[in-house]
Amino acid sequence: MLQRATATDQVVGFGLVAFSLVLFVYYTLWIIVLPFIDSDHGIHRYFLPREYAVIIPMVAGLLLLLFIGVFIMVVMWKSRKPVKKSE
Amino acid sequence: MTKLGQWLCGLVLLGSAWAALALAPPGLRLPPPCRQALLPLPVYLLVAFGCYSLATVGYRLATFNDCEEAAAELQEHISAARADLSRRGLHF
Repeated sequence: MLQRATATDQVVGFGLVAFSLVLFVYYTLWIIVLPFIDSDHGIHRYFLPREYAVIIPMVAGLLLLLFIGVFIMVVMWKSRKPVKKSE
Repeated sequence: MTKLGQWLCGLVLLGSAWAALALAPPGLRLPPPCRQALLPLPVYLLVAFGCYSLATVGYRLATFNDCEEAAAELQEHISAARADLSRRGLHF
């Protein structure tokens, strides 16, 4: 008998969907649409300079790799067997 | 050809097409807005793919139904296995 997912699951899940949708739309506008709009239009106020459109994802990617590396290190550290001292 | 080979071939093709357009060969005159939108294209595709993955994970999380029966059955299996193993001498 299948029931619906718990409320927390649904909230988190649809929250993720909404967040990634907003991110995608904003990034698409920033990278693809903005070059075709004249620089005196008001919409440019809502977007950072274009260099940040490349720098921010790169930094985020590096941070993600750093986090994964640290996590692996911690797990491997915790699971090492105690070294027997020979008397 | 393996799947990995196919993916690599596709990536190399797209990458070379992008590089050919982006490195401004002397014969090509692209309008400046097109050029401005073209240069960050690999980063854009990566971010778009990341957004799609996040959305898929979130959607599947939200629509995966609870299976109460299966959960109870699994707990039974776990305790039975635990009892069996401790009977044979393996303790957790």
